[in-house]
Amino acid sequence: MKFSVFQVSRKGGRDANEDRMGYCYTRESVIFLLADGMGGHPQGEVAAQLALQVISAMFQKEAQPELPDVGAFLTSAVMAAHRQILRYSIEKDMLDSPRTTIVAAVVQGGLVSWIHCGDSRLYLVRQEELLARTRDHSFLEQQMAAAAGLSFPERVNRNILFTCLGSPARPVLDLTGPVALQQGDRLMLCSDGLWGSLSDADIAYQLSQKPVSESVPDLVESALRKAGDGSDNVTVIAMEWETPDGFESTQGGISTNSINDGVFASTVQSGWLDSSLEDLDDDAIERSIAEINEAIRRSALKKA
Amino acid sequence: MSKVKPSALPPDTMIGGYRVIRKVAAGGFGVVYLAADQSGQQYAIKEYLPASLASRAPGALLPQVAPEKLSLYRLGLKSFFEEGRALAQISHPSVVTVMNFFRENETVYMVMNYLEGASLQDFIITARDLKQSKVFRESTIRSLFDEILRGLRIVHQHKMLHLDIKPANIFITDDNKSVLIDFGAAREVLSKEGNFVRPMYTPGFAAPEMYRRDASMGPWTDIYAIGACIYACMQGYPPNEAPQRLEKDRIATALSRLRGVYSDNLIEVVEWCMSLDPLSRPQSVFALQKELTREGERRYTKLTVAEKVRLQLDTMVSDTKKSVQKVTGMSVKAK
Repeated sequence: MKFSVFQVSRKGGRDANEDRMGYCYTRESVIFLLADGMGGHPQGEVAAQLALQVISAMFQKEAQPELPDVGAFLTSAVMAAHRQILRYSIEKDMLDSPRTTIVAAVVQGGLVSWIHCGDSRLYLVRQEELLARTRDHSFLEQQMAAAAGLSFPERVNRNILFTCLGSPARPVLDLTGPVALQQGDRLMLCSDGLWGSLSDADIAYQLSQKPVSESVPDLVESALRKAGDGSDNVTVIAMEWETPDGFESTQGGISTNSINDGVFASTVQSGWLDSSLEDLDDDAIERSIAEINEAIRRSALKKA
Repeated sequence: MSKVKPSALPPDTMIGGYRVIRKVAAGGFGVVYLAADQSGQQYAIKEYLPASLASRAPGALLPQVAPEKLSLYRLGLKSFFEEGRALAQISHPSVVTVMNFFRENETVYMVMNYLEGASLQDFIITARDLKQSKVFRESTIRSLFDEILRGLRIVHQHKMLHLDIKPANIFITDDNKSVLIDFGAAREVLSKEGNFVRPMYTPGFAAPEMYRRDASMGPWTDIYAIGACIYACMQGYPPNEAPQRLEKDRIATALSRLRGVYSDNLIEVVEWCMSLDPLSRPQSVFALQKELTREGERRYTKLTVAEKVRLQLDTMVSDTKKSVQKVTGMSVKAK
């Protein structure tokens, strides 16, 4: 399997970046993930990070090296992420649970399938044409879908979602695919920071003009510029598909053929949850120092 | 930046039962002192005092942290602890040893063994000024890095990456031991919220993935830096920075000039470590160690006359290109 991939996340004008992204692959299967932690609820970045960690961990476990059933995997992995977020909020005695959107796509056997919940989107672009994109789970887009062709007043807030991961209500998931990929197809996952500032036509056009390693940073830059100082977080992960016997890429793409069975590569960062969350107060500082000195003693004993 | 650096503690200040002798270094994270305990035993003590977040007036003990910077200051403290915690678990002659950790003056201190000697960087500079064809002997390079790799292997076994391996962070003691120092960069926590301390990297020694946020780093990232250090030991100068290499890679050409001076195998090892694609590098220290310590006759393939001519032409062509660009004000790649 061969593809080029590029990912970037920018904070924009916000205090924090609550978007998370990443991809993981085995020799035969790759998953792309993007989550946008929601404002208006606590710790959006935790929900987004948890979602990515849970899904990538399940992917690592089940893709051996292929997933037996991609659709079933996507559904169960996203539900597991949802439950994990709820469990986290219960363990931490939170009054309100952290929430996030999710969009995930698996490519395996030359076919792509994706799932989403909320308003993070997937775009599939073939030769400058927008072949498919996810429909947001927002009231705005649902109304549009219900009455296609009618224009709706601008004041319908696009930001109000009726489903997401981490809310007490069961999330609504849309599973699409499998779709057969062709040489040069672009698959892009993005947060609303991108599509909120750029039109679908712009996105599809720009994405197909250059290799993803150039078009993605350009897209993100133009979204940030357009949104100005108050820009939302903008996060994009995109890949360009190369058919197995296509011409050798000059873009330094990823070939999963070079990795062996049982090997797994991932860009999803782990370890965020146990360490960085609680604030470091005086007690925590004393505790850390005591722990370190204890470890020093143990090492010294071992040496002696 | 016009900001004044926080002042170091003056000699003879007592901290945690140690007497400060003098400041030996200052970096982004804080200050390192030479200090002694009551018995006269010497230590290196690192004080957490990030220059971008804290200030300290000359002669004062307590650092001042502006309220709006307090949360970042604490976040940095956390990574200082992480460094201490990781080093505390490692006991290896090729990795700097942490002996004690204490809190005083509203900050924290890490006590390490004091090493006498000089950094590999100092050695490289001295050696290259001798202007010989070889900066270091090949056997010296192999045994030096064998020691460093033994230490690095233990570091990686503790699920920790150094992330700032460079000649300045490889210390050669007066009794000829090489020791990996300064794990301060190892933690990326400070980069989490962007603005002030990026994941620190040193041009030339940092792998391309260090420049990309969220890219996957692993043992291969430190291995790139090891390759770059070996390169510096052969050339006397650091290699080009990774972003520059992505534009136009001159490493292979630069290394081919060393053919005949160093063995083919060593040159190949450096190229292997410094592959731009992380997956093309040795994936573990062990894999690299095996190659570096391989016994057997070394082959030295000298450049042929034709190759030498081509190398020269290459230099001429690129020089001409440069001067043409200068004259016309045009660049081949619009960036």
